[in-house]
Amino acid sequence: MDKTFRIVLILFGLLAVSLIGVLIYSIQNLQRAKKSAEWVNHTHAYMAEIGATVAASSSADGALHAYLLSNSPAQEVAFQHAFADLAEHLEFAQALAGADPDETARLTELADALLARADRARRLLAAARAGDRADVQAQLRSDPEGADLEVTRLAQRIISRQQDLLRERDRIAFEQDLQARTTLYVSAGLNLLVLIAAGWFIRDDLQARKRETELLARANEDLEARVRARTAELAQRNNELRSENLESRWKAEALDHQLRYNQLIIASVASPVVVITRALNISRLNPATERLAGRTATELVDQPLSDLVLVTGEGDSSAPLDPVETALRVGQDLIDQAATVKTAQGSTLPVLLSLYPLRDQDHIVGGVVTLRITSR
Amino acid sequence: MKTTILTIDDEDVILNLLDEYLSIEGYHVVRAKNPREAKQAVVDHPPDLILTDLQLEKSDGLILVTELRQKLPDVPVILLTGVWFDEQTVDEKLSGKINAYHNKSAPLHELGILVKRLLKETRG
Repeated sequence: MDKTFRIVLILFGLLAVSLIGVLIYSIQNLQRAKKSAEWVNHTHAYMAEIGATVAASSSADGALHAYLLSNSPAQEVAFQHAFADLAEHLEFAQALAGADPDETARLTELADALLARADRARRLLAAARAGDRADVQAQLRSDPEGADLEVTRLAQRIISRQQDLLRERDRIAFEQDLQARTTLYVSAGLNLLVLIAAGWFIRDDLQARKRETELLARANEDLEARVRARTAELAQRNNELRSENLESRWKAEALDHQLRYNQLIIASVASPVVVITRALNISRLNPATERLAGRTATELVDQPLSDLVLVTGEGDSSAPLDPVETALRVGQDLIDQAATVKTAQGSTLPVLLSLYPLRDQDHIVGGVVTLRITSR
Repeated sequence: MKTTILTIDDEDVILNLLDEYLSIEGYHVVRAKNPREAKQAVVDHPPDLILTDLQLEKSDGLILVTELRQKLPDVPVILLTGVWFDEQTVDEKLSGKINAYHNKSAPLHELGILVKRLLKETRG
């Protein structure tokens, strides 16, 4: 695996871990905020019920005193309703207080104080219904100074305690908010750094790849140029070889043509013509010679000239070919030398022999012998 | 447009060799094996140069050249032959009938040089 790819993969892994961490932390914060809001609402409801309890207590006291003064059935109903409200609010407050022992203890103190107020009301009501005004006045005078304020004090203590809890909650919430912001900012900063690092690695890798691509392109161009040059060289060499081949075939054809033409000329001559080698062997003869000797070229070619013709000496006795050999050796023409041709039937024919040496660059390579029949 | 050369010879092997060589040199080659084909070729493919053998099967190269010259007086003619002529004889006997003479025993590239020179001279 490519090194840069591994690094970028690791960086994006870190980024993913960071984002997942931030997500979990945010979810936890939301859950905590929801619980906190529920607690705040609960606390305010609790405080409201405590306040309502105090108000209901004051209202019940007022309604009781009004009934005691007027002895009116309507006032009796009013203070009964007021005490019913008081009991209801106290029950709500007790339900909202929960299981906190300290808070339960404080609320019990408040409830006890309210219960004492209710007992007092009950006693006053009994005296009033009995028409004992003196007892009513005596009970009213015996009511200790500030007894009605005790309920308010206890209620205020509970409310103050709840307000302290609310302030503490606000402080914690502020700190949590600050911590959340810090976490988010740090996370965002880290993510940004990771992204910048990944971007830097990617950019660096792209530049490296671009350089490699350019190098490869240049190498390809060089290679193509070399291939083109080599191809041109091979094409040129091929043309040269074709030209050489053509020249060779042309030369061979010209030579063949020349040989055929020469053969044609020799064959067309009516007089017998024999071509001999330097060693006095027959290398070629024309049809006129075949007709004269009654022998074919196949029989005579490569045979000594003496098999065909003998130089005639003094008298009619045959002699060796000394004049022919001598003329060929010294390179002189031999003209009209008397000789005889041996025929296939074993007879001899008198002829005049002429020899013309063949020269190739000052070297005698053979000779041309012509025969002229003198008589039959 | 390629330069057209008319080659006339009664031997296929010679025509093939000339065709191959002149094609490599970049010419368009038209072939004729006898005077009849040659006369038709100059009508169908008017040549820029004529290469003809001296000895034709049914005619004489010089007679054919004389006939072709009447139709194409400005087209250079090179005579090819395997028969050896000395230069003086060529100059004296063939002057005016042909533009140059090439012996078949001479290399082909010399023929190529001769063709180029004559074409250049003709085009000025």
